[in-house]
Amino acid sequence: MLSALGNPRQAAAQLMNFGLILSTAFMMWKGLSVISDSPSPIVVVLSGSMEPAFQRGDLLMLWNRNLFTETSVGEVVVYNVKDKDIPIVHRVISKFGTGPTAKLLTKGDNNDSDDTKLYAPGQNYLVREDIIGSVVGYMPFVGYVTIMLSEHPWMKTVMLGIMGLVVVLQRE
Amino acid sequence: MAAQEKITVYNLADLKNTTDDAIPNYLTSLNFTPSHLLTDVRLALGFSAFALSAACFAWDYKLGFESTKTYTAFAVALYTILNGFLTFWILYVEKGTIYQGTSPRGDKIRISTETKKNVPVYHMTIEVKDGKTGETKTLKISRSFTEWFDAAGRFVAAPLQTVLAQGVDVIGKVDTKRANAVKTEGGESGPAAAVYTPEMLAMLSGAGVSVVGSAAETATGTETAEAKKGGKRRKN
Repeated sequence: MLSALGNPRQAAAQLMNFGLILSTAFMMWKGLSVISDSPSPIVVVLSGSMEPAFQRGDLLMLWNRNLFTETSVGEVVVYNVKDKDIPIVHRVISKFGTGPTAKLLTKGDNNDSDDTKLYAPGQNYLVREDIIGSVVGYMPFVGYVTIMLSEHPWMKTVMLGIMGLVVVLQRE
Repeated sequence: MAAQEKITVYNLADLKNTTDDAIPNYLTSLNFTPSHLLTDVRLALGFSAFALSAACFAWDYKLGFESTKTYTAFAVALYTILNGFLTFWILYVEKGTIYQGTSPRGDKIRISTETKKNVPVYHMTIEVKDGKTGETKTLKISRSFTEWFDAAGRFVAAPLQTVLAQGVDVIGKVDTKRANAVKTEGGESGPAAAVYTPEMLAMLSGAGVSVVGSAAETATGTETAEAKKGGKRRKN
């Protein structure tokens, strides 16, 4: 099987197959991102602050377009605190005003107090722009793999290496 | 042909891939000129789709999602079109072609192959276009893999070459040796009777298969046979 790699066109074709698997997965992710208008349309719950609704390790699907109604009180939203890269999943508990400048306050179902202390210093509320999507669906437990991969980043390299070897050496 | 790769005879994909690799080698050894057009178009489509997605990854990583949203939308749409065209190309234009080229006499030949799931029969569809008259013909040859793989999984090139040389006259005119060899009547259920030429037997015994029978022993003349003759004398 390895001797087949002596032919450069065939080696290029095998390489192309592997590359296309990666790029198709990436493009599907980007396509989902563009359709839902969210930079990260699928997120994993990292903490237990939304129990009993969502547990750590659940996968959440997000939708960031207000096609029919505005983001309203009671919706579970995901937002990034200004200048921090960690998405937080909490519920909107109050709203002042309407439109893109409306002020929103959030709180985790399992937390004692609202999110004011989580926001950046001097920031007392969120606006629609800070939100990267509202939760429209979820799958329990599936996200635990992502948690493990982020806590042990070497696993990503190992996984990719194994995938690459398997695709290049097999020709089914 | 002493140490040779063995494949699993139960794995249809291995049987087909090994045979698919052997046919272009055989035709190239007869000085056929291959045409790489099909492969090159496929590689061009695949690599340009990959390059597009790499570019999309780069601008998304450097500039963030919000500012590059429109470009990403176009990239995804274009990628879908390229990939769709690549799939169309592989399924409908390439259609299982393993070799396309011109014989040294100027005839064009195109061979595509297929197998049906879990049936060890190799179906070849050969299109030939005569260099002088321009007429095209399509032939279908279906043979069992048992005709050119032995029970251990070694590939024996001679029977496959004979099938091709005798079945396709474009090849037969160039490879007169195989075309005039003993005709093996075969079909989907394997060869009717095993016909072994002395060279095939030499190869088989050289690879460690024990050969019994005086005709085979005199035909081989390898070290193994000599050692056996020596053994026989000692026993007497």
